[in-house]
Amino acid sequence: MIIDVHLHVDEVPGLGWKLDPSECLARMDEAGIERGVIMTIVDAPEVNPDALELIATACEESGGRLQAFARIHPWYGRQSVSLLEQAFARGFKGLKLHPVTTIAHPAGEDTLRLIRLAAEHHAPTLFHCGDEPLATPLAVARAAAACPDATIILGHMGGYSHVDEAIAVAERHENILLETSAMPYPDKIAEAVARVGADRILYASDGPACSPRIEVEKVRLAKLDPDAEELVFAGNALRMLEAVA
Amino acid sequence: MTIDSLAFLGDSIFGHSIGVDSLLARLETVGIERAVVAPFKPRGYHLQAANDVVAEAVRSNPGRIAGLVRVDPLLGDDAIREAERGLGDMGLRGIFLHPWEETFPIDDPRVDSVVEVAGDRRVPVVIASGYPWLSEGLQVGQLAGRFPDVAFVATNGLQLNMSGLGQTDAELALSDNPNLSVQTTGVYRQDFIEHAVATFGAERVLFAGGSPQFDPALEARRVQWAAFSEEQKQLVLERNAARLFGLAPSHSSINLPEVT
Repeated sequence: MIIDVHLHVDEVPGLGWKLDPSECLARMDEAGIERGVIMTIVDAPEVNPDALELIATACEESGGRLQAFARIHPWYGRQSVSLLEQAFARGFKGLKLHPVTTIAHPAGEDTLRLIRLAAEHHAPTLFHCGDEPLATPLAVARAAAACPDATIILGHMGGYSHVDEAIAVAERHENILLETSAMPYPDKIAEAVARVGADRILYASDGPACSPRIEVEKVRLAKLDPDAEELVFAGNALRMLEAVA
Repeated sequence: MTIDSLAFLGDSIFGHSIGVDSLLARLETVGIERAVVAPFKPRGYHLQAANDVVAEAVRSNPGRIAGLVRVDPLLGDDAIREAERGLGDMGLRGIFLHPWEETFPIDDPRVDSVVEVAGDRRVPVVIASGYPWLSEGLQVGQLAGRFPDVAFVATNGLQLNMSGLGQTDAELALSDNPNLSVQTTGVYRQDFIEHAVATFGAERVLFAGGSPQFDPALEARRVQWAAFSEEQKQLVLERNAARLFGLAPSHSSINLPEVT
């Protein structure tokens, strides 16, 4: 089984991007992926007040194949907290944050409040984690240190040029997991498994624009042993998603 | 037949290291028979010695390796002399510029005299692209716009940004400059590669494996599994590189093996 923990459903006319649930499912089928976790590209309450509804509806219509992460803008105080509470009440499985687009530092108090609320539900927080200011592994590690009971996922495990840094912060913080999407080096997945442990590495694609099939191939090119590969493709995600209350 | 339009050779000051035999063996495992190679920045900083390593690889592997001469435009006349040396007796097929590792903005006027050498010799200029401040999409486009008769090839789809924030500038640079092509190395967005082919033509996209930092087995899939016609794939995988770098195209069909 393969579970993809990072897929997008949204329409962003300003960027010319339109990502339908049906496209996610088609790409998952193409790659042999059974289940996926979807999230929007923009945030609730701004710039899309209906972001959570869009994701919830897509999940409900997916026949159980899609689950949801809530993308919430941290700047909106009690409204942000309320939206995240509503999301968990509707069965969402985690929180997604993109500090580059929200200009909210991972260790800012507005952000930490949301991460702690997710942790109360035993739900993970998935960060975009790449090469840009506000989203580097060292910046996100500040949030992991401030919220030791939270599960923090470094999406893209550092991007193009911060992969070594991502592995290093995961070694220092046991509540950090590394997620493989888009990062282009198969050998770094093998290195991460060796240094951090296969139980803390998650397969994802950042699809459907980023090809889930190619991203599956990338993990296979890492030539992990079968037990480790099973954990990366599905075991870790299953354990994590089933724990959410 | 597939041509990898950019791999690196030598011992990099940044840690990567690969010799020509290892490179060819690595490429053979994924069905790639020929490659265009550029030298790494060597530990001693002297690009001349690194260019000599590439020239020797070309001489010892005729028909399989084509080389690029790497220069630092900040060195002025020395850079011009090294470009002339590489494109002359050394038999190299283009100029390689790495604005990030040599630290210069690609649209700096000091780059022009090096590009003029490429123009005189009718060879392409390959630019390590997508690096912040130095070789962003529109910066590369600025340079290409100053030399409409010179062919420019930009690595990494003109962008190294995992939020997709470089995509629009990359497309603007391609739209503005018909003499600018892009390589596919590390381009994580499949839809960007497909859009570039659909909008700007398959003649302006080149497969590159990026060894040894990147894995050509993975990089090849970005083209092999794209929504391209058979003819578009042949252009991207081989013929564009053959045309730009003056290599003889094969007449066989694509032979990249499937990875299970």
